Amino acid sequence: MAALSEEVLLVVKKVRQRKQDGTLYLMTERIAWGPEGKDRFTVSHLYADIRCQKISPEGKAKIQLQLVLHTGESTTFHFANESTAMKDRDAAKDLLQQLLPKFKKKANKELEEKNRMLQEDPVLFQLYKDLVVSQVISAEEFWANRLKLSSTDHFSSNNNKQEVGISAAFLADIRPQTDGCNGLRYNLTTDIIESIFRTYPAVKQKYAENVPHNLTEKDFWTRFFQSHYFHRDRINTGLQDLFSECAKQDEKGLKSMVVQGVKNPMVDLLSLEDKTLDEGYGSLTGPSTSNSSKTVKENSNSAIIKRFNHHSAMVLAAGLRKMDTSSDQASETSSTDGNSRDSDTFQPPIKKVKLQEAIEYEDFQNETGPKTIALKLKKFDRYSHGPVPLQSHHYSTSQDIISSVSCIQEEMSCYKPCLTQVMSSSAASSAITALSPGGALMQTGAHQTVSQLVPVDIQSELKHLYTAAGELLRHFWSCFPVNTPFLEEKLISHLEEMIQAAYNKFHAWQMRRMMKKT
Amino acid sequence: MASEDEISLLVIVVDVNPIWWGQQGQRQPEFTLSKCLDAVMVMANSHLVMTRTNKLAIIAIFIIWSFIFFSHFFDSRDEPSLGSSDGKYELLSVANDLIAEEIKNLMARTQVKGHQTDTLLAGSLAKSLCCILKKCLAGQDMKSRILVIKAAEDCALQYMNFMNVIFAAQKQNVLIDACVLDSDSGLLQQACDITGGLYLKIPQKIALAQYLLWVFLPDADQRSQLVLPPPVHVDYRAACFCHRNLIEIGYVCSVCLSIFCNFSPICTTCETAFKIPLPQMIKPKKKKLKAAN
Repeated sequence: MAALSEEVLLVVKKVRQRKQDGTLYLMTERIAWGPEGKDRFTVSHLYADIRCQKISPEGKAKIQLQLVLHTGESTTFHFANESTAMKDRDAAKDLLQQLLPKFKKKANKELEEKNRMLQEDPVLFQLYKDLVVSQVISAEEFWANRLKLSSTDHFSSNNNKQEVGISAAFLADIRPQTDGCNGLRYNLTTDIIESIFRTYPAVKQKYAENVPHNLTEKDFWTRFFQSHYFHRDRINTGLQDLFSECAKQDEKGLKSMVVQGVKNPMVDLLSLEDKTLDEGYGSLTGPSTSNSSKTVKENSNSAIIKRFNHHSAMVLAAGLRKMDTSSDQASETSSTDGNSRDSDTFQPPIKKVKLQEAIEYEDFQNETGPKTIALKLKKFDRYSHGPVPLQSHHYSTSQDIISSVSCIQEEMSCYKPCLTQVMSSSAASSAITALSPGGALMQTGAHQTVSQLVPVDIQSELKHLYTAAGELLRHFWSCFPVNTPFLEEKLISHLEEMIQAAYNKFHAWQMRRMMKKT
Repeated sequence: MASEDEISLLVIVVDVNPIWWGQQGQRQPEFTLSKCLDAVMVMANSHLVMTRTNKLAIIAIFIIWSFIFFSHFFDSRDEPSLGSSDGKYELLSVANDLIAEEIKNLMARTQVKGHQTDTLLAGSLAKSLCCILKKCLAGQDMKSRILVIKAAEDCALQYMNFMNVIFAAQKQNVLIDACVLDSDSGLLQQACDITGGLYLKIPQKIALAQYLLWVFLPDADQRSQLVLPPPVHVDYRAACFCHRNLIEIGYVCSVCLSIFCNFSPICTTCETAFKIPLPQMIKPKKKKLKAAN
C-alpha cells in the first residue's frame, strides 16, 4: 500500500462500506478503509476529525459502526464477517474508544487555545476578522505561526507550575467525629488520601497491592485507622496487621536517616558537643541512646517522639520528591531526608560563602564609590575662545593711538549738548523709510505697513484723536512758567476740563473696542 | 497698556572708546562723539518722559587700560533743588548736565597706556546687571533692559565672560538690545538672540537718534504690537580648536569635549588615544609571473 508509513494498530477484513467489500485499517492517527483488490484508501479520517462513534444496537442483524465527524458527515462501516463480525466490531470500537479521547483533547485543546488567543488579544482578533473571515489568507496559514509559539509557551508554563506541598497536619485534620454509639467517623477527602500516599509510600504500596482485589477502599482505610500503625503509641507490634510491615519499613527509614546525619554544618547540633581528647581534657560523652534501661513510660515517650520526627521528615521529603519518580518506590524511604540535597552542595567554597553571608551585612560595609580617572587637560585656553574666527586685527600704531586720543580729548573739552540740532530732517526721513516695511532694514520681515493692517476708519479716528491731544498738550505746556494769573486760571480750570473731556472720550472708545471683541 | 505701578528701567551702555572715536572724527567729521552723545541724550530724555515711573541709568564703557566707568542712576522721584534755566523738566536738565560733565571729566583724565585698544564690553554689561539687581533688591518690581551702543570691534578675549553675563541676564529676565555703528558683532548678536532683545546695525550714523527712538524706545510689551526690523540670523557654528575655523561638522573628543575639524588619533587637549576602524584594504592579488620557456 502506498504511503503506509504509519503504524497499523488493527486490521479488520471483510468490512463493507457503501455496499463495497474491503478492509478497515486503524492506524496511530487515522482510520482508513480501502476496497478489496485496490491498493489505496478511499475513506480516511483522522481521529482528530472524528467527533464520536456509534454502534448499532445489540439485537440488530447488521453489525455496524458509524463514525460521526466534526463537520457532521458520517461514515458507516458494516462488519460482514459471518463468524467474527461482533468481535471485530467490538475490537474496533474499543480501540477507537481508547484513541479518540487522545485526539479529541488535542483538537479541543487547539480550538480552545485559538479561542483564548483571539479573546485575549483584540488586535489579533481584528486581524483574524480582516484576513481570514474575508478570505485573504486561510485559517491554517494564520494559525501556522501563532500556534507554534503558543504551544511552547504552554509547555513551559506547565513545567513551571508549582508543586502543591503537603500540609504537615494532614493527619490531624481528619478529625474523627463521634458516631453517637461508641464509634468514630473519619472523613477522608481525596486531598488527604493523596497526602498520605505521598508522605508514606509504603502505605501507597499496600493500597496498590490490596485494593481492589482483596479489600474495598473502605475496608482498607478502616483497617488503616484501626491499626496501631496509625495510633500514637506503636508498642504492640506483635499483631498481625497489614501495616506491621509498614511500621518496620518506617523504622528502617528512620535509622538510615539518623545514620546519614546532618551535613549542613550550620544546623548540625551534634558537632557542638564536647569532644574529649583524654581524661582530664573535657568530659566523656556517654552513649547517646540506650534503650535497655528505660522505663515503660520513657519508651512510649521516645516512641512518640520518634514517630513525630519521622512524620515531619517524611512530609518534608515528600515535598522535595518529584511526582514523576513515583515508580521508584523501594528506594524512596532511604533517600527521604531533607538534607541529602544539602550534602551534595556543601563543598568548601560554598560553605565559605554561606558563612560570610551569615556574618556580614551589606549596609555596614564601607562605601566604595566608582573609581574615577581624573581629567588632565594640557591646553585649556582653547576653551575660552569663542567661535570668533581669527580675524586680521586692525592694528593701530602707537602714533595713531596717541593722535586719536588727543583728538577726542580736544573735542570733548568743548562739548556742549545741543539737543535741538541732533539731526536733519532728511536724515531722519531716510532712516524712517529704511525702517518702514519694504525698506532696507525690513527685507525679511512682514511686508505690510501698519496702514494696511489697520482698517481706515480706525486710522482716521486715531489721527483725529492724536491731533486733538497734541493741541491740548501744546496749550498745556505753553502755560509754563506760570507768570500771570490768567495762565494759572487757564491751567487749573480750563485745561483740566478739556483734558478730562478728552480722557472720557478715550475711555468711551476703549469700552466700545472691548465690547466689540467680546 | 502698562500699568502705572510698573517701573521700567533702561540702562544705556555707550561705547566711548577714544581711539575709535578719534579715528572716526578724522574719517567722518559730521558724526563725532558729541553727535553720538546728543542722540543718546535725546533717547534718554524720551525714555524718562514716557512714563513718570521710568528710570534711567547710563554707563559709559571704556577701554581696557582704564577701568573707570561712569554710571548714574536717574529717578524722577529725586527732585533736584536747583531749577532749570530754560524751563525744561528738571530731571531732564539734570540728567543732560551730569552726562556731559562726566564724559568731559572722563576724557580729560584718560592717559595712553599700552597698545590695547579693545572695549571692555563684558565688564560694563556686568556692571549694569549689578546696577539693575541693586534696584531690584530694593523691593521694587521692575522690568529692565540694557541698550548697548557699540562703536569699536569685538574682542575675542572676553568671550567667556561675555557669555556668562549673557546667561546671567537671561536668568534675570533682562533684555539686551544692541545698536551697532560700525562692524557686526557676533557676540552682541548672540546676546540679543538669547535674551530676546533687538539687534540693529545702522546704515547711517547721522540718523542715530531716529533709529534709537524708532526701534529701541518702546519696551518689550509694546514691541509685539509694532512692526520692527526682523531678528538677525545668528551664526551659532562652533570654531575648531586647532585652526579657529567655523565648522559645521567636526570631531569631538569624548573625554574633554574639544572640537576638531580633522580626525587625529590623539586629542591634543587631554592626550587620549582614539581609534577609528578604517575600511578594509583589498589586497591586490599578486600575479604569478609566467616562467619564460
